[in-house]
Amino acid sequence: TMLPLLLLLLPAAHAIVELKYTPVLTQTPPLEGLITASTFVLDQPRCVFGGYDNASIWLVVAVDKAAFNNTARPGTLETAFQGFPDSVPAYMTLNATLANYPCPKRAGDITVLRVGSETSCPQDKATCNGPLPGPGPYWVKFLALEGSEPVAETAWSAPITLRTAKSPSSISTTDRGHSAGMIAITTILSILFAILLAGLVAMLFFWGSDSCGGSSTFSKPESVTVRRYNTHHVYDQPAARL
Amino acid sequence: MAKSDDCVHILQGLLVFGNVVIGMCGIALTAECIYFVSNPHGVYPLLKATENNDIYAAAWIGIFVGLALFALSILGIIGVIKASRTLLLVYIILMLITFAFEMASCITAATYRDSLTPSFFLKQMLERYQKSEPANNSDNEVTKTWDELMLQNHCCGVLGPSDWQEYMSAFRLTHNDADYPWPRKCCVLDAQGLPLNLDGCKLGVPGYYNSNGCYDAISGPVNTHAWGVAWFGFAILCWAFCVLLGTMFYWSGIEY
Repeated sequence: TMLPLLLLLLPAAHAIVELKYTPVLTQTPPLEGLITASTFVLDQPRCVFGGYDNASIWLVVAVDKAAFNNTARPGTLETAFQGFPDSVPAYMTLNATLANYPCPKRAGDITVLRVGSETSCPQDKATCNGPLPGPGPYWVKFLALEGSEPVAETAWSAPITLRTAKSPSSISTTDRGHSAGMIAITTILSILFAILLAGLVAMLFFWGSDSCGGSSTFSKPESVTVRRYNTHHVYDQPAARL
Repeated sequence: MAKSDDCVHILQGLLVFGNVVIGMCGIALTAECIYFVSNPHGVYPLLKATENNDIYAAAWIGIFVGLALFALSILGIIGVIKASRTLLLVYIILMLITFAFEMASCITAATYRDSLTPSFFLKQMLERYQKSEPANNSDNEVTKTWDELMLQNHCCGVLGPSDWQEYMSAFRLTHNDADYPWPRKCCVLDAQGLPLNLDGCKLGVPGYYNSNGCYDAISGPVNTHAWGVAWFGFAILCWAFCVLLGTMFYWSGIEY
């Protein structure tokens, strides 16, 4: 019961203004790279820190919201990016002044902050905006410092979880469906082939027999016309005519 | 006898006509398959990398089947005109063998075409594109082919740039995610081949990167190739079926 009271008193004591702004991921324009495996993109806090012309506006990135103390100073070991997240629960980066965030925003400008874009900072740069080490989730807020005194802050953002890449071996290439065309070709051709084979068998089976082709026998053009002999009545038939 | 003679002549005429068509189609099939074999389309290295050359087996069979069809059609015409039982029997049997080969070729071409799904290309691209220790030359070919594909067709990945984000890849092992969410070839490039706006490309701002996938560009030529072999062969076989049935009927009616 004392704790909430104390927390209520603390901001009053330090006179930190809590601005009614929540950092959000950029919605317009739609960005393909809004969230990648090690970066994410926030809207710049335009028209939020009005009146704080002399303040430095820092971005605080935390894995543990509660562990961050507004009195923490940027550029020190306690807020160094290099120790994040193992020994440092929240780091401060992307230092800017109100001049960097003119208000109102010019139409057509893309005003974003890409967290994680500095891939080659020197080892001792504590305020490095380096790529995030894991998928998170992360919370961010903006903090305005005058000198080293915090004067204003925004609310904490919603938790931001980064992408995790799956292994390509999880892509299944084995269940390939058979298209309708291929099935049609196979069945129709198989049926046709079967009919032809049956026809061939029928032909060979009835080789020499008249039973199938009796009604449409026809003669070879160069062969001799020979009248068929009926052996039972051979004495009744006239002789063959050439 | 006169009526039967007319029927005979009509049947002979039809069979000769049928064989002429088969002969011409045989030549056409040979020409088409020679074209496919000698003129591999741009994505051939991707197919070759899988060591699955079914589509080329189908085309090679097509060449020889076409020539066989042409030769057999001549044999068939002679057999029909001379009404020789032996010739026609030889013709029928050889045509059936050719029919079987062409059937195999069509089915192979169609089945192979079905196996070239987006997942197939996706897996190959993720595992081989920009592989740092290329196991053999085909990995380099895969990389070069993909670079050309993405450059010429203004596309990225198989289904889109998110392919590079959703899956781990050989590319990701050598290029960190913050600097290269997707390969540079996915960016809109200027005349010198440099990205128009590198930050815009990395962010994925519409207009500075290629947002559509390359699968359509790949499957177009592959489809033409496969269906060209498969459906044309199928059409020839259907026609040959009719001619063969007619020939069998004619054969059974010849006096011996």
